[in-house]
Amino acid sequence: MHEHPIIHVGGLSLDLSAISMLLVSMIVVFVFVRLCVSNLSVENPSKLQNFMEWVVEFVQSLIGSAMDLKKGKQYISLGLTLILFIFVSNLLGLPFSIITEANGPTEIFGYVIEATRNLGAGEHAEILWWKSPTADINMTAGLAIVIFILMNYLGLKHNRKYYLRHYIEPFPIFLPLNIIENLAKPIALAIRLFANIFAGEVLITVILKLGIIGIPFLAVWQGFSIFVGALQAFIFVILSMVYIAQTTIHEEH
Amino acid sequence: MDLHWETIVISIVSFIVLYWALSRYAFDKLFNIMEQRRVLVLKQLEDAKQTKEQATQYVEDQKAALNEARKEAYEIVERSKQTSSKQAEQILEEASNAVVRLKSEAVRDIESEKNKAVEALRSEIGTVSVKIASKLLEKEVNMDNTQEQLVDQYLKEVGGKS
Repeated sequence: MHEHPIIHVGGLSLDLSAISMLLVSMIVVFVFVRLCVSNLSVENPSKLQNFMEWVVEFVQSLIGSAMDLKKGKQYISLGLTLILFIFVSNLLGLPFSIITEANGPTEIFGYVIEATRNLGAGEHAEILWWKSPTADINMTAGLAIVIFILMNYLGLKHNRKYYLRHYIEPFPIFLPLNIIENLAKPIALAIRLFANIFAGEVLITVILKLGIIGIPFLAVWQGFSIFVGALQAFIFVILSMVYIAQTTIHEEH
Repeated sequence: MDLHWETIVISIVSFIVLYWALSRYAFDKLFNIMEQRRVLVLKQLEDAKQTKEQATQYVEDQKAALNEARKEAYEIVERSKQTSSKQAEQILEEASNAVVRLKSEAVRDIESEKNKAVEALRSEIGTVSVKIASKLLEKEVNMDNTQEQLVDQYLKEVGGKS
């Protein structure tokens, strides 16, 4: 099991690999999108602009399948950011990972990495620096919490009466069940994304141990992981939109 | 897998920052341009539709004009056929009228010629008979005196009367 490079700074324990990978995927997404929109043209769109427009239309149709597009228009930016960020994050860990081996207490920026603090003689710790940020449950939990807060806030704001009533439907005794259902949504979101990507990376590590025989398996699995990464990004976004639609939109009967 | 609330908070913050940055620096512009492109495409489609409609209208007009011209040509042919047949009839009628007139004129001419001839003959016959009569009278008168006396008597009578 690889260790996280965690340091204690002023009472906070910071996971350096999570932070750095978050930064990397943010920068990749932002630079890519900026590149796509750098040469916008109405008459003669470039290939990158066409690609970006295709992504936007894809997200639009995705939101349109969850709710009325007139109401869903404001969530397009959210859906776009989510899908790009998750997809890029899923892919980052695929080509390689960076692991360092520490044989004793190791320091970085003047702080001791926690996993190496109590290493005895002859023991060593493998510290994982480069990975998919989404292969970390804290990261996916953060995203799921954003969606959870957003859907409950939007439900309270736009649809208060029906949002509150749905907790005691069909009978008031269902209140605990409904609360659990509501809490299960972000947990399911977080764990689904994390488990898929984490399992993919674990399997890559396992296949690497096969040596040369493993190369065809690795190729197949890498290709499949790209597919899984796209699929999980898609699932995350569409589920977020469905949850938001469930809480905010009350259909007249 | 252990939960680190610090990492969770950092990921939430970074996601919000990314969302803000993308909305602010990329998506607004992109959505704007996409809207403009949508409007442009709609306009072009509308234009194409209009042009097509115009073309269809034009073809329809042309067809109508062609039909009109065809109908007119047919009418002209019909009319000319009718007028020609009418003219032929008229000519025939006129000809027959002329024939009748000529005939009657000829008949009248013949009649008057005959009358003139008869008249002329009649006057000729008068003179001739008078001459014959005078010749005969001369002969008779010369043969004996009685007759000379008779003539004289007649002459006297005629003279006396006058």
